[in-house]
Amino acid sequence: MTTTETRTRSRTPHIAHKEAVAGQREGRATFPDSLHAEYIKIRTMRSTLYVVLGTIAVGAAIATLVGSSAGDGFATMTTAEKATFDPLALSLRGYMLAQVTIALLGGMSITAEYGSRTVVSTLTAVPHRSRVLAAKAVVLAAVAFLTGLLFTFASFLAGQAALKSGGTPSLTLSDPSAWRAIVGGALFLTLAGLLGLATGTLIRSTTATVTTLFAAFLIVPAFGPAFPGALSDWTSRYWPSSAGGQIMTGYQDPALLHPWPGLAVMTGCVALVLTAAFLTFRKRDA
Amino acid sequence: MIEVQGLTKRYGEVPAVDDLTFTVRAGEITGFLGPNGAGKSSTMRMILGLDAPTSGTATVNGRPMRAHPAPLRALGALLDAGAVLPSRSAYHHLLALAASNGLPRGRVDAVLEEVGLAAVARRAAGSYSLGMKQRLGIAAALLGDPPVLVLDEPLNGLDPEGIVWMRGLMRRMAGEGRAVLMSSHLMSEIELTVDHLVVIGRGRLIADTSMADFIAEHSAREVVVRSPHSESFGRRLADAGAAVRADGANRLTVAGLGAPEIGALAALNGVELHELALRQTSLEDAFMALTQDSVEYSADKEAA
Repeated sequence: MTTTETRTRSRTPHIAHKEAVAGQREGRATFPDSLHAEYIKIRTMRSTLYVVLGTIAVGAAIATLVGSSAGDGFATMTTAEKATFDPLALSLRGYMLAQVTIALLGGMSITAEYGSRTVVSTLTAVPHRSRVLAAKAVVLAAVAFLTGLLFTFASFLAGQAALKSGGTPSLTLSDPSAWRAIVGGALFLTLAGLLGLATGTLIRSTTATVTTLFAAFLIVPAFGPAFPGALSDWTSRYWPSSAGGQIMTGYQDPALLHPWPGLAVMTGCVALVLTAAFLTFRKRDA
Repeated sequence: MIEVQGLTKRYGEVPAVDDLTFTVRAGEITGFLGPNGAGKSSTMRMILGLDAPTSGTATVNGRPMRAHPAPLRALGALLDAGAVLPSRSAYHHLLALAASNGLPRGRVDAVLEEVGLAAVARRAAGSYSLGMKQRLGIAAALLGDPPVLVLDEPLNGLDPEGIVWMRGLMRRMAGEGRAVLMSSHLMSEIELTVDHLVVIGRGRLIADTSMADFIAEHSAREVVVRSPHSESFGRRLADAGAAVRADGANRLTVAGLGAPEIGALAALNGVELHELALRQTSLEDAFMALTQDSVEYSADKEAA
């Protein structure tokens, strides 16, 4: 078949020329090529912009509201309540929403391909399944981390400003726990995005993925306290999103994990589900 | 060229593709024909490496798709023209595909020009008509300027002008030395287009032949004869070497003798003729007869 290829090449000199310019690439598709492709895709997915801007804006708005209302309540608090008052956690309360929006973005970045069947052209162009999923994961992690960082940063500033004007204790950026929560919070939201991607890869349907992510991030933690004793304690301590959320707290509840061990639990969970997603994606018919 | 060797795909116990072997040669358009559910799409998906075969192999220019360093340069495929993210523009749809294989941006403009979508390339692909989506699918297939094209039902849903365009394009691609595999479930769609024919039914190979041979073999010419003396005249025709079939009252269907010979024979014997008409069986009929036993869901069967 070399003759055909030679004929094909010589017919389109502009390709041959570009290849020569590109040097030793010799037309081999690489992982950076897949990264580039996935970046174009996520950039041209309509929901991406909504999620990024919405997460940051709503985060700052929630921080302002929570901060102001805390100011109203603080004066009437008991001493014990004042001891557990956590301005850091209050300002980042919006993470409850942000974890879901970013996880949905992660889920959508693959379920949109299954829904629209573009996964067929994606995998025809790059039959190396792991390369495709890895590229999606890296691009998503980058978008999620940057969005998460802007979210935690904006929420912290807006929330502390609202607390300060309400006359309650507040923090500044010079506080060491502030940067731990801002950067760690961004890492937590990155993990949430990857969990969304892994879940979407396993489930494929957008609707079912959305439902699953809502259940995992909101419903289980919400109903946790109503579970029978031991299960309730276990859920609030070890449920991955609850444990991971500890990275954004200032007051250490003795019943809960410390910030970094909490984030490690979340990381372990995401690593497990992501591994399952890779194994499934490699084996399954597209 | 595409080589399919003993290809089999089972879903549970049911074989969708059953020990299929055929070759798609360079410089030819190969028609891949079969009734709905015959396994055409499954076969194409295995050639593309989208589905893993239960057994057997499918190679493109000697290698499985996975082993090609830049798959879009080895093979272009149109499987499902509707497969576009509705909100994404055609341009970005193609740009992402091109990027994944390290193809230069100029290729995107070139293929958009080629299929006539350059002017609407920035519009959301969801707003495209079926014909435009089909053109976009072809653009994607041509991105890597590949020597092999796999097109699943490329004429589906096209208007007459689109069909002419698509046929011309496939002809040109084959003329440039590329191997083109196109599927269809309608013989009439491909009899004007293809050089070679692979017919399957229920996942099995039924015919693998050049189109010319298929036409010679199956476009039998028959002559319909109506005469009040059909019985005795039928015997005479049979004596003259024709295959004669009584076809209702006073009506014969004659094969093996042309209308002039039959007319002459009638005149010679003073037989009164009411009708003498040439009838050509269409390739569609030949195809139907060929695949009759392998049609998955047929109205006849349900009525029985």
